[in-house]
Amino acid sequence: MRTNHDIKRGVSLYSYQNHYYFKKMSLEDCIAAVADLDAEGFEIMPEMMIPEFPHISDDFAAKWHGWMQQYDVTPIALTHFADRLMWKNRQMTDDELYERSVLYIKAANKLGCKVIRLMHSYHGGKPNASSMYISPCDLINPKIVERLLPVCEEYDVTMALECHAPTSIDDPCHQEYLEVAEKTGIKRVGLMADMSSFQIKDSKASRDFHVRKGGNPDIIDYLREVGSRKHRGEEIDLDEVRAYLKEHNANEIDWAYFNSRVEFAMVATTNETLKKYASQLVYIHAKFLWAEEDGTIEEIDYPGAIKALQEGGYKGFINSEFEGNRWMSDLGLTPEIEMVRRQHVLFKNLLGY
Amino acid sequence: MAEEKSMMKKEKALHGIYEQHILTDVGARSVYKNGKRVGYCINILINYYRGLPLSCIDSIELWVDGEQVRPEDITCQTNGKEYPYLKLLSDDMETDTYWLFGDYMRLTIAKEGGITPGAHEVRIRLGTRRSYTPTLVSECTKIITFA
Repeated sequence: MRTNHDIKRGVSLYSYQNHYYFKKMSLEDCIAAVADLDAEGFEIMPEMMIPEFPHISDDFAAKWHGWMQQYDVTPIALTHFADRLMWKNRQMTDDELYERSVLYIKAANKLGCKVIRLMHSYHGGKPNASSMYISPCDLINPKIVERLLPVCEEYDVTMALECHAPTSIDDPCHQEYLEVAEKTGIKRVGLMADMSSFQIKDSKASRDFHVRKGGNPDIIDYLREVGSRKHRGEEIDLDEVRAYLKEHNANEIDWAYFNSRVEFAMVATTNETLKKYASQLVYIHAKFLWAEEDGTIEEIDYPGAIKALQEGGYKGFINSEFEGNRWMSDLGLTPEIEMVRRQHVLFKNLLGY
Repeated sequence: MAEEKSMMKKEKALHGIYEQHILTDVGARSVYKNGKRVGYCINILINYYRGLPLSCIDSIELWVDGEQVRPEDITCQTNGKEYPYLKLLSDDMETDTYWLFGDYMRLTIAKEGGITPGAHEVRIRLGTRRSYTPTLVSECTKIITFA
């Protein structure tokens, strides 16, 4: 359903990956599921769901555009990857990565996608001592982006720099990319928020998974609460937490949970910051891992975030990115369709449409 | 470095989502040529949430009934193309053929006499490169019934 609303609801089809992998849903089925939400559009990951990629045929494009009309949805975004490590003993040069990125831009244009999620070098932030993120190589650097700008202009596509936890939209490292756009005057690159940067609590999906695997529920819940305080910016005495764990005979799972959910818990970006950046964002991934039937999501403050986006003047799509399947694969087929439906119950309530 | 180990463990948990599904018993059987069994095959699925160019396969290690299969005996067939496994590891491997997400890659193992019909323990260690994370190595062991 297409509207003129400033903030448009959508779904990244990545959210339906298990259904696709296990052949429960085809690409068309996934698009229909998006239409069933009265959502406006979706993101396509061609390397997940379009077998012809990188050379998409006219036949496929015709079928695709027929679907867009039939289901009345907009294919707003296409997911780009930077496979620098293309060969075992040889890396792609900047020239080769530029060429390959052009394939994504051309595919986006052929499919009617106005945005590409760009996997830039700082997708997970600048690797440093306190960063958990370690990419074994450089991805798309500002020099390559500079060369891609006129290509984007020609193909009417904008590169969205996905700022994914542990980095965030206000991390200065992303400015280098925006500066090349300023320099060339081709404004075809912008910041993209991934709501993982705003996480204030570990999800129920992850919490339950760790308990199922043998974590002590009391310890896991204690750690979840401490982790949440750390996410919200409180100073946590990690030694005190370690002492608690030793005192309560924490097991391997409890320690692993401490490690990932407390020790390396990222301080969440605030909604105030989101409001400040809202008008310059080009796209948003509404990350979540679990939603209750009424749409309640514990890990991210969506009511506060949507309010910030409205007040800050965001114009664009907010696309569900469900990722709970990674904590539920031991329970059989993850209810991905239902989870996304619940998030859209929440969004409909918050947006009023 | 502690953070790296933590990241690897986290990645293992995160991307372990497909690990248990790598090995399948679909079409597991001996392979024939001119009426003779010359090998056997098994169909596998990718350990990642997207398809990858075949050149991004970092390693395929296979053990059948505890015995490791020699790399030079493995042929990979998927998406209408077929390559010796070792070709995938070469510097000039083409980059446009994908091992599609959720689609089988058939591994054919050259072996005179093929494989005896029935249950065999198969273990695979599959490494795939995705650039934004360290190479993910997934392990899967299953009892596979060969036709």
